[in-house]
Amino acid sequence: DLPSTLDPLFQKVKLTVPPATLDDSRDDAGRTLAALKQATGIDNARFSLEALNALPGALRRNGWQVTLSLADVKGYIEITGVEPGFREDNYYGLAVDIGTTTVVVQLVDLTDGRTVCVRGTYNKQAVYGDDVISRIVYAVDNKDGRQEMQKAVVDTINELIDQMLPENNIAPADVRAVACAGNTTMTHLFLGIDPEYIRLEPYTPAANSLPPVPAGELGLHINPRALVHCLPGVASYVGGDIMSGARLIEIDRAEELTLFIDVGTNGEMVLGNREWLLACACSAGPAFEGGGITNGMRAMAGAIEHVEIDPANGEVTYNTVGDAKPLGICGSGLIDLISALREAGIIDRTGQFLPRPDLTRWREGDDGPEYVLARAAESGNGKDIVITEADVKNLIRSKGAIFAGIRTMLRMVDLPVEAIDRILIAGGFGRYIGIQDAISIGLFPDVPLEKYKYIGNSSVKGAKMALLSRRVRDEVEALAAKVTYLELSVGNEFMDEFVSALFLPHTDINLFPSLIHAA
Amino acid sequence: MGLTGLEIFKRLPKTNCKDCGQPTCLAFAMAMAAGKAGLDQCPHVSDEAKEALGAASAPPVALVKIGTGEKQWELGNETVLFRHDKRFEHPTAIAISVSDTMSADEISAKVAKINKLVFDRVGQTHSVNLVAVENASGEADKFAAAVKVAFDNTELPLLLISEDTAAMEKALEVAGSKKPVICGATAANYEAMTALAKKYDTALVVKGTNLSELADLSEKVIALGHKQLLLDSGAREVNKVLADQTQIRRQALKRFRPFGYPTIAFVTSTDPFQSVVDAGIYITKYAGLMVMSSADPADILPLVTLRLNIYTDPQKPIAVESKIYEIGTPGADAPVFVTTNFSLTYFCVAGDVESARVPGYILPVDTDGISVLTGWAAGKFTPEKITEMLQGCGIADKVNHRKVIIPGGVAVLSGKLQELSGWEVLVGPRESAGIASFLKQRWSA
Repeated sequence: DLPSTLDPLFQKVKLTVPPATLDDSRDDAGRTLAALKQATGIDNARFSLEALNALPGALRRNGWQVTLSLADVKGYIEITGVEPGFREDNYYGLAVDIGTTTVVVQLVDLTDGRTVCVRGTYNKQAVYGDDVISRIVYAVDNKDGRQEMQKAVVDTINELIDQMLPENNIAPADVRAVACAGNTTMTHLFLGIDPEYIRLEPYTPAANSLPPVPAGELGLHINPRALVHCLPGVASYVGGDIMSGARLIEIDRAEELTLFIDVGTNGEMVLGNREWLLACACSAGPAFEGGGITNGMRAMAGAIEHVEIDPANGEVTYNTVGDAKPLGICGSGLIDLISALREAGIIDRTGQFLPRPDLTRWREGDDGPEYVLARAAESGNGKDIVITEADVKNLIRSKGAIFAGIRTMLRMVDLPVEAIDRILIAGGFGRYIGIQDAISIGLFPDVPLEKYKYIGNSSVKGAKMALLSRRVRDEVEALAAKVTYLELSVGNEFMDEFVSALFLPHTDINLFPSLIHAA
Repeated sequence: MGLTGLEIFKRLPKTNCKDCGQPTCLAFAMAMAAGKAGLDQCPHVSDEAKEALGAASAPPVALVKIGTGEKQWELGNETVLFRHDKRFEHPTAIAISVSDTMSADEISAKVAKINKLVFDRVGQTHSVNLVAVENASGEADKFAAAVKVAFDNTELPLLLISEDTAAMEKALEVAGSKKPVICGATAANYEAMTALAKKYDTALVVKGTNLSELADLSEKVIALGHKQLLLDSGAREVNKVLADQTQIRRQALKRFRPFGYPTIAFVTSTDPFQSVVDAGIYITKYAGLMVMSSADPADILPLVTLRLNIYTDPQKPIAVESKIYEIGTPGADAPVFVTTNFSLTYFCVAGDVESARVPGYILPVDTDGISVLTGWAAGKFTPEKITEMLQGCGIADKVNHRKVIIPGGVAVLSGKLQELSGWEVLVGPRESAGIASFLKQRWSA
C-alpha cells in the first residue's frame, strides 16, 4: 500500500544554500526558498516565525548547509524549523482510523514509509452511546457534552500512542504528522466541531473538507505542532473513512464500473469509475457487526465465523475465530447461518421460523422459536448460543438495506447490475466471508463470484497512503469533491427497494438467476 | 423516451462548479432526468450540448398557459402514462359551461355559482378554473353579449366555444384582453381561427373528427406558426374519449409532435351521476382541460378531490395518516401505543396489537413516513412531537387513564416525554412482536 513516491505530510530536507556574497546579497529567506525550489520543486513554502528566527545563524554555522522541517498545511508548505548541518534523525507519523466502535492507529516511519507498529482498541466514546446518532444527541444535549466526547476519542488515541512510542523508543516530539480517517460524525467530534445539524434535515455537516489542526490543540501526546489532517467526506453519512477506502482502491481512476461497499452500521457505498461517482449510506444497522443480535459479536476470538447445517437432520458444524470455544456469532457466521437455516427449511423466505419440533436444535424460547447453535456445555461462557426469529428479522432488514442501497444507486444512473465490473467489500467480517451465502440471502447482487473481492479495513490503509503522500492527500480531496451524494430518504425509490428486499433472497427472484433452480 | 441521467451527464461540462445549485454535474444531470431541473440552469453548457440535449430534453407535451394574472393555469409538460412512473405535473383544468341561449340574468347567476366553487381540502383551497361560454344560439351578437356577461362577472379565464369565426371575432373584442381559450379550429375554419389566436396570443383548441384528421390539422396550425394548442379528437362518448386520450398521450410520449399538446374533453351526459363519473375518467386519463355543465357543488367536490389525489406527487415516503387508529373496539381503559406513521412500522404494530387480542389505540406520529429509529435519528420522533399528538388528537377524551406505551427502541425519550405531556410513559418492548407478552405482564389501566 505504499505510494509510488514518498512525499509525506511532514518531511525534513537537507539543503545546501548558495552563500551570501556582495554579488548575491539576497535575504536569507529568499535565498533559502529559491534553493529549496531548485532542489525539490516546492515553490509554495513559507517560513514560520520560529524558523526565521533560527535561519541566519543556522545557515552560517555549518557552511550554508541546513536541514529544514517542512509541514504541509494544505495549500502551502510551512518551514517549521531550521537546523544547522545535515541531520540524520528519524521522524514519524500516525495513520488513524477513528471508527464508531474501534480505533486503529498505525505508527509510520516517515523517512521510509515503513509501519513500525499497529494498535487498535475500543472507542471510549461508546459510554455515551453505541451509534453516531446517540453520540450527537449526547454532545448537543449535555453541557460540556462536546468536550467530553472529544476528550474520549483523544484519550482513546493517546492510550495507543502511550503504548506504542515507549515500546519503540520513539520520543513524542518526533511524531510530526497525523492522517485521520473517520466518518463525518467521528471527524466532527474529534475536532470538537458542532455536530448538531448532521442528523437534522436536510442533513448538513459543518464541513466536508477540514483544515489541518495542530496536535497540541487536540491534546494528542505527540509533537504539539504536528498537524492533524482529517480526510474529507462527502455528506453527513459518507465521510473520510469511505473516501479513504475509495482512494485506496482508486475507484476514481478505474475504467471498470466499480461498486465499493463498507458493510458496517452506516452501510456506505460508492459506485462509479473515472467518469462519475455516486455514493450513499443505507444505514444498515449494526447487525453484521454483531449489534442488536442476541448472541452477536465482533469478529474476535470465540466468534463463530463459519456455519454449516445438515439439511437432513438440522445438525450444525461451525468454526470460530482463533478456534476458541464459541462465545457468539460474527458477521460472516450470521450470513452463513441465515443461508443455512433457509436451506434446511427451518425458516421461510420472510425469516419466520417454521414449526420443526422434529429437530433437537429447534425450540420455543422466551421470544418465540429459536435455533440452538451451540449448547451451554460446549460454549466458552457456559450459555446456549442461539439465533431467534427477531435476530433473523433484524438481519433481513440489514441485508435488505444494503441491497436496496445498491439497487437505488443503479436506478439513479439507469444501469443494470450486470454493468458492474467489480465489487469490493470492506468491513470487519472475519475470515470466511462467504460471498455465495451472502448472495443466497440477497445481501449482495447475483453476479459472478470472481467480480467480488474482500479488502478488510480500507480506511486505515488509505489514511496511511495520505500520510505518506501529499499528492494522495490532495487526490482524496479531489475525489471527495467529485462524488455525488444520493440522499436515500428523499423519494420512494429506496423505500420500495427496501421493502422488496425484506425477503430471502428478494421478492423478485429473477434478480437472483443463479438461485432459481435452488428455490 | 427521455434521456437518462448518465446520457445527460456525458454532455455536461463536468466542472462540478455548483453554479446550477447542485453539488455536482452528475447530481444536476439526475435532477434534469427527473424533470426537476432545466438545462438553462447550467451557465457553462456548450452550444453543441444545448443542441443535443435541448431537443431531447424538451417536454414531450408542450406547456400551455391559459388566462392571465392570479387565475392563470398551466397545462401540459406531462411525461408519463402512469403517475407512479414519476408524477402527473399539471392538474386538469375544470371548466363549467354557460350557454348564450340563457338570459343575461341566468348567465350571471350561474357564473356567480361557479365563482363559489372553492373548496378546502387538507388545508389548501381548490377550485374550478374556467368559465366556458357556448355559442349554442349560432348568433354572433348573442354570443358576444353572453361572453360580456361572463367576462364582467368572473375573474376566471374564459373558454369561448364557437366554430363561427365571425362570432369568435366579436367575442374576442369583448374578452380577448384576458387570454381566453379559443375553441376552436376545425378543418373548415382553421386559418381564420389561427389568425385570431395569434392576434390575441392565446391558446387554441384544434378539433378533428378523428385522430388522423386531428394530427393533420394540428400540423397545419403549427405550420402557420401557432404553438399554444389544445387537442380535441372530436370524440364525445366516454369509451371513445378514453381511447383517444390514451392514444394522444402515448404518441406524444413517443415524440409524435402533432400530439405534443394538452387535450380538452367534454362531458356530454345530462345525467348528473353519469356526468361526474365521465368527468372522473377524463381527470384520471390525461385530460388537460375538462368541460362540464353542472355547477352543483355536490358534483364538483368529488372531482376536485379526485384531481388533487391523482395529481399528488407519489415520490414521497409511504405513510399512513397521522390520527387515532382503533384496533378491535377499545374501551376507556384500553392501552395507547405511540409509533411513527411509516406504513411498514404502523402495520407491524397494528398486526401485533391485533394478534395480542387486547383492543387498543395506536397513535402514529407524523415523522414524514420514516421508521421509529430513523425518526429518532433525524430528530423527527421527539418528545415534543409525541406530546403534540397526545394533546391534539383527542385521545385524552377516549381513555380514562393517562398511560402511553412507547417503542423500546426509543426508551431514552421517556423522561422528557413524561415531563412534557404529563402522561405516564411505559417503555414497551423493542420489537412489536413482544407487545402481546408485554401487555400480559405490564398492562393494567
